[in-house]
Amino acid sequence: MIITATPATDGPDAFLLSGRFDAHQAERFRTAVDPSLDVDQPHIDVDLSDVEFIDSTALAEIVRVMKRCREREGDLRLLAPSDPVRVILELTRLDAAFTIV
Amino acid sequence: MPIDQVSPLDSLTGALVDANDQLLALYDMAALRTDTLDEAESVDQILRTACRTLRTDEIVLVSENAGAGGEPDDQSFITSVQVEDPSGETAHVIARRSTTPFTTGDTKLLTAVANLAMRAKHTARMHAAAVEQAIVSHEHDIASTLAQRTLPAHRPDVPTATLFARSDPARSAGGDLFTFSQIGSTLHFVVGDVSGKGLPAAIMMSNVINAAKGCFTHHGEEGPVAVLDAIDSWVYDSLSDADLFVTLIVGQFDSGSQMLSLANAGHSPVHFVHDGTTRALPASRPPVGVLQGMACDRLDISVSATDRLVVASDGFPEQADESGEMFGEDRFQDELAVPQSNAGEFGEQLFELIEAFSGNAPQGDDRTLFVLDFEGAS
Repeated sequence: MIITATPATDGPDAFLLSGRFDAHQAERFRTAVDPSLDVDQPHIDVDLSDVEFIDSTALAEIVRVMKRCREREGDLRLLAPSDPVRVILELTRLDAAFTIV
Repeated sequence: MPIDQVSPLDSLTGALVDANDQLLALYDMAALRTDTLDEAESVDQILRTACRTLRTDEIVLVSENAGAGGEPDDQSFITSVQVEDPSGETAHVIARRSTTPFTTGDTKLLTAVANLAMRAKHTARMHAAAVEQAIVSHEHDIASTLAQRTLPAHRPDVPTATLFARSDPARSAGGDLFTFSQIGSTLHFVVGDVSGKGLPAAIMMSNVINAAKGCFTHHGEEGPVAVLDAIDSWVYDSLSDADLFVTLIVGQFDSGSQMLSLANAGHSPVHFVHDGTTRALPASRPPVGVLQGMACDRLDISVSATDRLVVASDGFPEQADESGEMFGEDRFQDELAVPQSNAGEFGEQLFELIEAFSGNAPQGDDRTLFVLDFEGAS
């Protein structure tokens, strides 16, 4: 998986993920995203438009970041989930927990 | 010849005795078994033997980052060499003796001793790490076995229904779970999947099973949504602390009323087969552990003979073959419409099918299958 980070100048920190997002990539995602949580009211965008597959470990990572953001009155948004990701989000009803744009 | 003069013969004899002593000391040093000693003992044994070889009063190994030692007295001769172990750690080996100055040969020998000591130190460290790893691995296996044993070994006799349940973890333990209790005329059951794999998921799996058993007893009469909410309250904090969640379907089948009631928190695939037609039963709320206080719908189905409930984990549809192609939700659903003789045979055949599909590809995730065949009112 390729992670392209765009630090915020005026808005949320943005992360574009490409490829397969599974248990093997969870640590890389954590390393890339966690510094963005070290602020008041963290706002993070995760672009999933180019993710081919996502497993439960990866979903748990995104849930973790979402919860950390909301604990500090920020939020995580999922941008344009690809079809395979959207199917998983709908099957698990995680679409009801996230802000999806 | 003056009495205080040493004859050449005596001198030669003394030198030969000294050389023989050194040879024996070298032999002792080479024969040292340091593989069962710890780091400090290994180095100490080598340096003590080296003192005999070099006829020194003292040899010490000082790590690169160690503080400065005491000053030698004025009568001592000192030499030191710097060495590096296979991991790149450097140290100084310092020898002191009060009799004669060190020769070039002595320094070469000290260098050989120093290298031997550093290698022994490195080997001892690697040995200790390997032992520690073996202990952790052994404890991991025991914990995995204990967690996996919380899955029920026996199936209840369900009036007017036949039950099949099997879980194959991808590793020695996994996060897939099922459990059930027959209380009066009602079969209570849960099937779920803790996110992630391995021991953390397995420990959480056993927590959820214990919570479910308690909630069947205390909240079962209030219906599956109440049981789900109670499990959520029980395990939410521990799931959050571990950054995990669990997809969970809670079900009740009353053999008297022939009513099946379900509450589904994020679990998939769940299918109901009636007259050969398969219908997916979607979740109505996210998994347990994601957000607190999420409302869940209750689904009631009046069942009849030959109906079948199939609950699996994502290890079935997400299993890949050798080319990387996944089995897929559609193919999984197609398999359910094929007439099968009974729950047990159907279940085992589905496991065989996914095994054959995967070929030599590794099992990607835990696989769990729960099948309930309904026989109609007795």
